[in-house]
Amino acid sequence: MTDITLNVNGEVKTASVPPETTLLKMLREDLNFTGAKIGCDVGDCGACTVLVDGLAVNACLMLAAQANGKEVLTIEGLSTLDKYHPIQKAFEDVAALQCGFCGPGMIMATKALIDQEQELTRDQIKDALSGNLCRCTGYTKIIDGVIDAYEKITGRKVPARNPRAA
Amino acid sequence: MIHRGKGIGCMWYPIGFTAAANPSAATIKVNEDGTATLLTGTVETGQGSLTVLAQIAAEELGVSTDDIHVVSADTDATPMDTGAIASRTTYVTGNAIKLAAEHAKQILFEVAAPMLGVQPNQLEAIDRKIQVQYFPQRSLPIADVALQAQFVMGRPPIGSASYNPPTVGMDPETGQGKPFSTYVYATQCAEVEVDDETGEVDVLYMSAAHDCGTAINPMLVEGQIEGGISMGLGFALQEEMLFNDLGQQLNPNLTNYIMPTSLDMPEIDVDIVENFDPTGPFGAKGVGEPTAVPTAAAICNAIFDAVGVRITSLPATAEKVLMAIKDKRLSNQRALPAAE
Repeated sequence: MTDITLNVNGEVKTASVPPETTLLKMLREDLNFTGAKIGCDVGDCGACTVLVDGLAVNACLMLAAQANGKEVLTIEGLSTLDKYHPIQKAFEDVAALQCGFCGPGMIMATKALIDQEQELTRDQIKDALSGNLCRCTGYTKIIDGVIDAYEKITGRKVPARNPRAA
Repeated sequence: MIHRGKGIGCMWYPIGFTAAANPSAATIKVNEDGTATLLTGTVETGQGSLTVLAQIAAEELGVSTDDIHVVSADTDATPMDTGAIASRTTYVTGNAIKLAAEHAKQILFEVAAPMLGVQPNQLEAIDRKIQVQYFPQRSLPIADVALQAQFVMGRPPIGSASYNPPTVGMDPETGQGKPFSTYVYATQCAEVEVDDETGEVDVLYMSAAHDCGTAINPMLVEGQIEGGISMGLGFALQEEMLFNDLGQQLNPNLTNYIMPTSLDMPEIDVDIVENFDPTGPFGAKGVGEPTAVPTAAAICNAIFDAVGVRITSLPATAEKVLMAIKDKRLSNQRALPAAE
């Protein structure tokens, strides 16, 4: 067994897990943070995306031991009981999600992108979300949600899409 | 060299089962605070059907969608439903809910009529009130009427109804009949770029015009259409289940069963063509499955427009398109007169 101490959503957590345990399994089964989803469990779908020291990672591909001493942010760390995070609010406003299974991963990937504080275009947003699969929505409204959140959080504007399509 | 092409795909699609029973049922109870509880067996899978069904109930009862408490998909408490299949929920379950709400509303009207000194058929339900038609100042809050119905008149305002789309079975000899109650229609246009050196197809733009009857919730209709296009695009270009001789799937992972990502998606314009259907709830039909039907046809037609090859088996992978382009070049060469 390996003793792990890490900071999850601002609280110090400890767990004793077998060395082969992934960060995702420890978050879900030992620490009860079930927001990050097990989709494919091999790094294809992005449903398990969490932030480790501010970077979006597939929690299914990272060993729990690799996260020892680091700061992890999961979807549970974004909202409080009475207030959504602006990204969640934007996703709700534009009906970005349907079944919602990809939602936690999409929102965490969005947070990592917006936190980089750089100018974004629609194509860059598509690129940043390409590791998160969604079977319901066709990504269109998700991208609209990311743009809405980005513009509200940073005050910047994303250039309008292809004029022919507008 | 990159070639650009445009293509069109059209379709019609039926709502509900093919000349087979597919009933839905619903119960609506108007509570004494003016809210209502809706029991329906249908299941929400993210498409927003419970929102649409609550909107239908609210519209009929003259209350806000927020006032409808939906209890769904629990056969301990709700009627059995045929299911969230066949693009039938808004049309079939919606019709059952509208009928159930009409029954509950009729009880409210009969209770309110003597309170307002008119006949029940002179009343309407609107803005959380029961009011005399053309005399909005003569009205009662629905909460007061429901309270009167429950505790004074002894007639709780509860309505139950079921709906099964009327069909006529098909004659086995002639094939004639009316297998569905209603149909929806759609056209999608695709604009693609095809690289004639690699066969790679890039869908740049899609425009989708869908007749879904009345769009009860246009934002959800858009979501359905955009999602359907992503599924149709995967069907057209990427997704294929491969099996070996033993029937085992060779590509059971997302690593090798390739579905569209955000980078594969074109820009999409959605055009909702509203077309009131007198048999649907408030004119609505459906939009679920039809959204994925014309996409592959439109994309394959656009490939033909771009490079002049017909892809007749899906998915139109880069290998398949390149092979077709090479075959076409070869046949063109053969058509040249032999050099003397």
